[in-house]
Amino acid sequence: MIYTEFKEAVFAHAQALGLKDYELYYTAGESVSVDVFQQQINGFGSTTELGACFRCLIDGKMGYASTSLLSAEEAVRVVEAAMENARTIESEELCFIHPGDAAYAALTPKQVSTPTTEEMISFALELQKTLYATDARVIDGTQCGVSFGTSELAIDNSYGLSLRDSSKMASAVGMVVLQDGEPYDGYQTEIGSLDTMDKEKIAKKVVEKAANKVGGEVGPTGSFPVLLTPSAMRALMTAFVGVFSAENTQKGLSLLAGKEGQTIAAECVTLMDDPFYADSYAQASFDAEGCATSTKAVIENGVLKTLLHNLKTAHVAGVKTTANASKASYAATVGISPYNFYIVPGEKTQDELLAQMGNGVIVDSFGGLHAGASAVSGDFSLQSTGFLVENGKKGKYIHSFTVAGNFFELLKKIVAVGSDLEMGTPNGNTCLGSPSLLIDQLSLAGK
Amino acid sequence: MMLSKKLLEQVLARALSTGADYAEIYTENTTSKAITMVGSKVDRIADELISGASVRVFKGLRSVCGSTADLSEAGLLACAGKVADVLGQGSAPIRINLNERLFGDAHPIRIVPSSVGNDVKVELLRRGCDSAKAYHSSISQVSGTILDVDHKIQIATSEGLLAEDRQVRTRMSLEAIASNGNENQAGMVTPGVRQGLEMFEQFVPEELGRQAAAQAVTMLSAGYCPAGTMPVAIGNGFGGVIFHEACGHSLEASGVALGQSQFAGKLGQQIASPKVTAIDDGTMTNAWGSINIDDEGTPARKNVLIENGVLKSYMIDKFNGRRMGMESTGNSRRQSYLYEPTSRMTNTYIAEGQDNNDDIIASIEYGLYAKTMGGGQVNPLTGQFNFGVREGYMVRNGKICEPVRGAMLVGKGSEVLMNIDMVGTGLALSAGMCGASSGSIPTFVGQPMIRVCAITVGGR
Repeated sequence: MIYTEFKEAVFAHAQALGLKDYELYYTAGESVSVDVFQQQINGFGSTTELGACFRCLIDGKMGYASTSLLSAEEAVRVVEAAMENARTIESEELCFIHPGDAAYAALTPKQVSTPTTEEMISFALELQKTLYATDARVIDGTQCGVSFGTSELAIDNSYGLSLRDSSKMASAVGMVVLQDGEPYDGYQTEIGSLDTMDKEKIAKKVVEKAANKVGGEVGPTGSFPVLLTPSAMRALMTAFVGVFSAENTQKGLSLLAGKEGQTIAAECVTLMDDPFYADSYAQASFDAEGCATSTKAVIENGVLKTLLHNLKTAHVAGVKTTANASKASYAATVGISPYNFYIVPGEKTQDELLAQMGNGVIVDSFGGLHAGASAVSGDFSLQSTGFLVENGKKGKYIHSFTVAGNFFELLKKIVAVGSDLEMGTPNGNTCLGSPSLLIDQLSLAGK
Repeated sequence: MMLSKKLLEQVLARALSTGADYAEIYTENTTSKAITMVGSKVDRIADELISGASVRVFKGLRSVCGSTADLSEAGLLACAGKVADVLGQGSAPIRINLNERLFGDAHPIRIVPSSVGNDVKVELLRRGCDSAKAYHSSISQVSGTILDVDHKIQIATSEGLLAEDRQVRTRMSLEAIASNGNENQAGMVTPGVRQGLEMFEQFVPEELGRQAAAQAVTMLSAGYCPAGTMPVAIGNGFGGVIFHEACGHSLEASGVALGQSQFAGKLGQQIASPKVTAIDDGTMTNAWGSINIDDEGTPARKNVLIENGVLKSYMIDKFNGRRMGMESTGNSRRQSYLYEPTSRMTNTYIAEGQDNNDDIIASIEYGLYAKTMGGGQVNPLTGQFNFGVREGYMVRNGKICEPVRGAMLVGKGSEVLMNIDMVGTGLALSAGMCGASSGSIPTFVGQPMIRVCAITVGGR
């Protein structure tokens, strides 16, 4: 059964059972991936996936059921299971099926070409060759891969709303092992269109990441001024992005509850959520509930302007939704997440920030985020790597130290924001971004 | 029987038709339900069916894998054809004869969760949440999820194997938040087993609620952990995450075969202190990480990984086994048909030792007692790992003192294994979800209380 047939079967059954408010949310995707090891293709994968999620309102409560099997039996099952689940819900916040908005923005997605299998294979083999050629210390264990995926999304509901979206993206991954006394590794992912990716540039970045580690030492212990690189800050934001969700504030799971209009960050901090960000592969004109999206400042000059809402949390708060409804997968219940969520860049280059710092530490990675960071308290204590900074200059590589702090305090301790904004890899509709940030003091524990 | 023997034989023949030396088809039908309660009210329910198949072929050291949600004859043959055509051209006439094998089920289920209505599960969850809320006036929020999964798999290979398994798992997770107005601290319990709802006779919801709440209340009054290098006693159960992260991942063939592991080429060598014996056992009755067969159809085994400190075995799947010249150890696992399987852990633990737990604490002049661990991660190449301490206490002069928050254990797998200088008694196992290239899979981690003589503790 194809989606449109399945939808008709589902909607017919929903109507027959007397439902008034319901929706079908459907995604389908295809992806191809190629892996190279020892200059040969050692893995090739192709996946075709799809799934549909039905949800319906009974007395203001929303029930869900999903399936990846588009059959007549499943059309009946999802409707009946969702109804049973709706009747089990007890929370008093009202849920809604959205009749639709008057207008949806036209997107200007970045151009992505569709590569042939042969093009993917030759790209991956050449990338591998380039990795070995970049540095004589590169050894076996070095791997790389290329993947390309397309996805489609459909939302149809009982109000006649019918929305469609699709996207495609390629990615190339390089993972290098470099032997210099001990083995060192480097890792880099590039996303976009294969025909415009520069293999030499990717290889140089990966190898540099590994080579930087040679001769490093354990980081120091004490309290230091810290420069967080864009990728380190993005990692931290991954762990704490949920604190801006109104769902979490309303449930007592975020300390930003009731803080709208208050100063929660240093004055130099402006945090934007932009679903249309031009230089991003994650753009959206509607959210997971079918509401039209818009660009907004979440923090403006340090002041919390708004939390992120979906229809349910907006109704509880008595505000208009910010159209940040999202689903982790087609099967998930509706939650909240941002789109292109980034700290607006400032004036200074990274070198100028280092000169301003004088002596301190660059932190360029955080690990163990799911263990060492608590969104509920804001506390984090994370394994890190980086560089010493002496007299304003980047020095020795350091590793095996932890950086501890509190996310809410850190926002207030940002002294300067760099000009080097970098967006990360999209995860669903969310793509985090940050420039380099100079932080007053953070606590390090190493040797 | 999910797919007919005849259809499976056709699909395998098509997959082999361009010169592959091995073909396999994995089919799954998985239903799951997750009921979540927030603030003593049912907040949301995810109710899911996943169905699909994956065809994989090997030719020497090349592997090609494809998946499809279309289980019709045409859909499966198209998927097999796509996979075969990557390897080359041709259409060799190949005949496959499958022989069905019954490996049996070592994990009896008394109350199959899918046969029970929402109300029964909601009641179990409510008992846990209410008990956490009632524990202390500082508990400001409680949320919990009861999850049940019914995962049916069928595997057929060109070696003639045809086998099935049905994996029923149940888990409850409860999170309690303690608040004093300015600060929040969370406490969490997440027991899971390969069992039905009868698990709650052993894991009584009220007791789970009290445990989660007690942890949050304790941590709310705790100060920050001081940083430094010190001896650390790590409690049993989820404390085993230290071994899972610091060593387990580096013993998976996925890294070892490619030379990306700190333990590659070290079989027979002393890689840990003689006090350490570590085991991966996929056969433990009703255990969260247990499997009757792995996702390539190999029966689960009990594999001694390290015996008295000496490396005895890796955890191996068929494909990486080819590169290593070694047999599968029954460790090939995947989250679903959308992931390519690879070597993974099942139930992995450090075996009980000879030391007395009281002596372990008494031996520490100044250090940390990590009673309950959080999660962590490791770089399998360098062995550098870190993991969070969910509930920790300072130890002074051999006595457990005040609770501390924010502690992080940091180190290198090969070093910490050598530094385990005491292994106590009271082995316990705890459920976790382990994420890697083949997706998120249920694994047990475990150990008795152990002492690491020196480890870097990150705090502030």
